[in-house]
Amino acid sequence: MNVFSGLAALAKGMAVTFKEMLSPTIVENYPDGPGPLRGAMFQERYRGVHVLQRDENGLEKCVACFLCAAACPSNCIYIEAADNTAEHRISGAERYAQVYNIDYNRCIFCGYCVEACPTDAITHGHGFEVATLNASSLVYRKEQMLAPRPALQGQNAVFSISGEEQLKAEREHGGVGRWIE
Amino acid sequence: MADVNITVDGRKLTAPAGTLLIEACKSVGIEVPSFCYYPGLSLQGACRMCLVEIAKMPKLQTACTTVIQEGMAVTTASDTVHQARKAMLEFVLQNHPLDCPVCDAGGECELQDMTFSYGASESKLIDFKNHKDEEQWSPVVFFDRPRCILCYRCVRVCGEGMDVWALGIQNRGALSLIAPNQDDHLECEECGMCIDICPVGALTSGAYRYKTRPWEMNHVSTVCLHCADGCKTTLGVRRQGSGNQIVRGDNRDKSGINGDFLCIKGRYAFDFIEHPDRLKQPLVRKNGTLTPASWEEALELVALRFREARDTDGGASMGVIGSSRTTNEENYLLQKFARLVLRTNNIDHHRTADFPAFVNALSGRAHATASMRDVLSAPAVLLIGNDPTYQHPLLAWQIRTNVRLHGARLYVVNSWPIKLTRQAKEFLQIPEGAEDKAAAFLAGDDSAADALLTSKTTREKLAGFREKLQGEQNLVVIFGSELRGQELAALVRAAARGAKYICLGDHANSRGAADMGLYPDLLPGYLPLSEAARFGEPWKSVPQQPGMDLEAMVAAGKERKLRTLYVVGSNPVARYAIDPFALAETFVVVEDLFLTETADLAEVVLPAACAYEKSGSFTNTCGDLQLLRKAGDCEGVKPDLEIIVRIAELMGFDIQQLAPLDPSGMRADFGESRGVQSGEVDQQAIWNRRQGYEPRVSPFNPFAVLKEIQRVVPGYNVGQLELLSGNDVHTATAGRAPGKTEADRFILPSHENLFTSGTLGRYSDVLNRVIEARLRLPNEKEKEIAAD
Ligand code: SF4
Ligand code: SF4
Ligand code: SF4
Ligand code: SF4
Ligand code: SF4
Ligand code: FES
Repeated sequence: MNVFSGLAALAKGMAVTFKEMLSPTIVENYPDGPGPLRGAMFQERYRGVHVLQRDENGLEKCVACFLCAAACPSNCIYIEAADNTAEHRISGAERYAQVYNIDYNRCIFCGYCVEACPTDAITHGHGFEVATLNASSLVYRKEQMLAPRPALQGQNAVFSISGEEQLKAEREHGGVGRWIE
Repeated sequence: MADVNITVDGRKLTAPAGTLLIEACKSVGIEVPSFCYYPGLSLQGACRMCLVEIAKMPKLQTACTTVIQEGMAVTTASDTVHQARKAMLEFVLQNHPLDCPVCDAGGECELQDMTFSYGASESKLIDFKNHKDEEQWSPVVFFDRPRCILCYRCVRVCGEGMDVWALGIQNRGALSLIAPNQDDHLECEECGMCIDICPVGALTSGAYRYKTRPWEMNHVSTVCLHCADGCKTTLGVRRQGSGNQIVRGDNRDKSGINGDFLCIKGRYAFDFIEHPDRLKQPLVRKNGTLTPASWEEALELVALRFREARDTDGGASMGVIGSSRTTNEENYLLQKFARLVLRTNNIDHHRTADFPAFVNALSGRAHATASMRDVLSAPAVLLIGNDPTYQHPLLAWQIRTNVRLHGARLYVVNSWPIKLTRQAKEFLQIPEGAEDKAAAFLAGDDSAADALLTSKTTREKLAGFREKLQGEQNLVVIFGSELRGQELAALVRAAARGAKYICLGDHANSRGAADMGLYPDLLPGYLPLSEAARFGEPWKSVPQQPGMDLEAMVAAGKERKLRTLYVVGSNPVARYAIDPFALAETFVVVEDLFLTETADLAEVVLPAACAYEKSGSFTNTCGDLQLLRKAGDCEGVKPDLEIIVRIAELMGFDIQQLAPLDPSGMRADFGESRGVQSGEVDQQAIWNRRQGYEPRVSPFNPFAVLKEIQRVVPGYNVGQLELLSGNDVHTATAGRAPGKTEADRFILPSHENLFTSGTLGRYSDVLNRVIEARLRLPNEKEKEIAAD
């Protein structure tokens, strides 16, 4: 009796194992998957590395109002503002962010900055491969976060494009923003 | 005045008759919102934000124009009132742009605050807003018309407050707009008062626009370093790569002696700090050219040469020139350095008023000097010489405001109908240079009258003027460097009955430099050299012979008898037109911000911190003592205090005897590093290293020196508590300058005007732009002023 019930239990357990072995895998195959994301999958609202958006004319949306910096609970946003001039126009309003840094040593990806932004300039992208061995390289500059020119708008320049795509973008659209040093 | 009882929101309150309802409410902590009402300015009744309900009155009333009446019952917070305020806001916001994110006022905007309190944040307007582009009215004043809420504060402060009347209103009703006096630009004193008083972001400052936002700055309260009036300013500082950077000057803290006021220099002229020509590394002359060197090398060289000179030729062969722009602590320490370390009395500074004669004339009279606050409340003011509007802007503001609000009587004696004569009750025009005679005449010397007669001034007028003055109680008498020696003394002795005096020096710490004994014949507190021993044991060795003054030092230089000259924050070569060859054989050491004409001759140039970059104290020309707080940072420079102590140390002097090292000196200038939190990179240190700057940490505590000053310098024994709370404290003139009869001929007025400030002004971009703009003006008189 004991032997039979033991075997039955074993069979039941192994059935699960074999069933799972034979059914298609649902684990994300990151980083060996296909596509530019190499298998990573995101919910639309995933909060990754920030993207600074551009408006429909390709001008930066950020007007350097410092509201994101004020809202940030970990105090990791640093901005220096400057005047737009007729010859040197960066954003749509009177002022633009000459320097815009986010310190990812401190950012807790809470999304408060995105909430605070009156111009929808700052959004969370899907970039998540931020790990590094050098803490000082975690201070991202504006150039690293800025959305590419309109053709590639809405994507994250650093994280969503493969090397080939970048080269292609550079050939066709004059670059994906000046994020490369 | 009789008191009136009223009820506000059910609370009974009592206030003097004639009080405005809005002020009465404020006095018990009930805030009535207002835009156009501003204390001290005329009533406007334009914005109607202050509507309140008053029982038995059919409609809502404006609290800012209603005078309280016995038995009034007021409601400030009913639904009707709330609704009315919301409706007024809706009107205001109708054509108001949604600029808050880029608007300079954002974060400290009264309209934002009101909208938060009363709603009306949704517009019912469906039409497009009427946009007008921003206008630049002057190098420092910008106007953004759609943001203006027509409160007329700017118009009133410019007219009533500044007596400039440069702003006005064009058109009527919905088309009203604020306009500058010259079509599209302003010709005015550029004080920026209109910008400061604007409740919204309509008037913005050319020096601060779009730079940062109010909440991003730290606010440091310190004292203006330009003229001798000592306005309290608030500097907005931001952390930048190089430490704290000053981005804005204003007076958000109205508790200072200047109340609402700041002139163009206090508000904008801090930008010399970042001028590219600023010295940031010591320079040592090698093979005839000044070459950058390390602090160590430069200081060691100075100490070596000073010691050699002292030990071979004695202190008599060494000279020291102090500054009227360094702090009291530094001046005190400098003369102590000269007298104890160099063992010489050869110390002098750029004198701009005869303070020793002033103090001598006042000796034995307590409370005989007026403070800057007294000028605002005195019943009568006598002004002899000087043109405060241009040379002492705060003083002029105090006088104007006193006349306007308290009906003070102003008497002016001048050779020129200066602008303040508009406020004057009596104006005596005298021949040029006859101020001393006028003083003598006013002091009772009738024979001086002959020298005062002009086509406008008759003997009768003179006599009448004097008679009126003699009838004045509690007169405040103000005079500049035109009065010296005997005439000054005669004037001060003549007037009695509670008269108080102000002697006008020219630079931020001219009075302090004099008080701290930067004289060859006077010790701190104007004490004679014979009293050196009262300063303590080591002072017994101070030579009893008066030292050389500046002129004698230059003469000694010509005769090759001056071996070293130590110049701190002063430019005597340019100021006194000294022949550069006179100092050819002298080892000249200069501490300054820029390579001045004097620094150009030096063997060693040491870069110094300016008064916005260190702490300490200043005494303004009236004798009001105030504390400076460190606001900005500049890499590579050191405060003069530290430099002096380090030289003394390298010369082998026991520095404990020079500057008390206070273990509790946690408030000292500890350099620019704010320390690091765990896990944080010390970016400051890295930045400094990368730029090749030496770390800057100063262990010397100016407050320890101040304590010593308070202990030993007569008149400075004032309350510490007041001082540390950031208030001004009036010092007494308790010294006893040995009475000298001849006028001090070394007094050289600095001839600064509203837009100049010596070397600092030369390197201020804002001031230069304003001067240039004024030179393009068609108006001749203005040109004259600008060119001065
Ligand atoms: S990102 Fe948005 S909130 Fe931040 S400064 Fe720019 S406009 Fe303002
Ligand atoms: S004036 Fe005030 S309400 Fe108007 S845009 Fe500027 S900050 Fe906003
Ligand atoms: S800057 Fe001063 S003088 Fe000029 S318009 Fe404004 S308030 Fe008047
Ligand atoms: S510019 Fe400013 S101070 Fe002048 S009326 Fe308009 S809102 Fe008032
Ligand atoms: S009046 Fe004198 S102390 Fe006041 S802000 Fe102007 S220059 Fe500075
Ligand atoms: S504050 Fe009373 S009407 Fe403007």
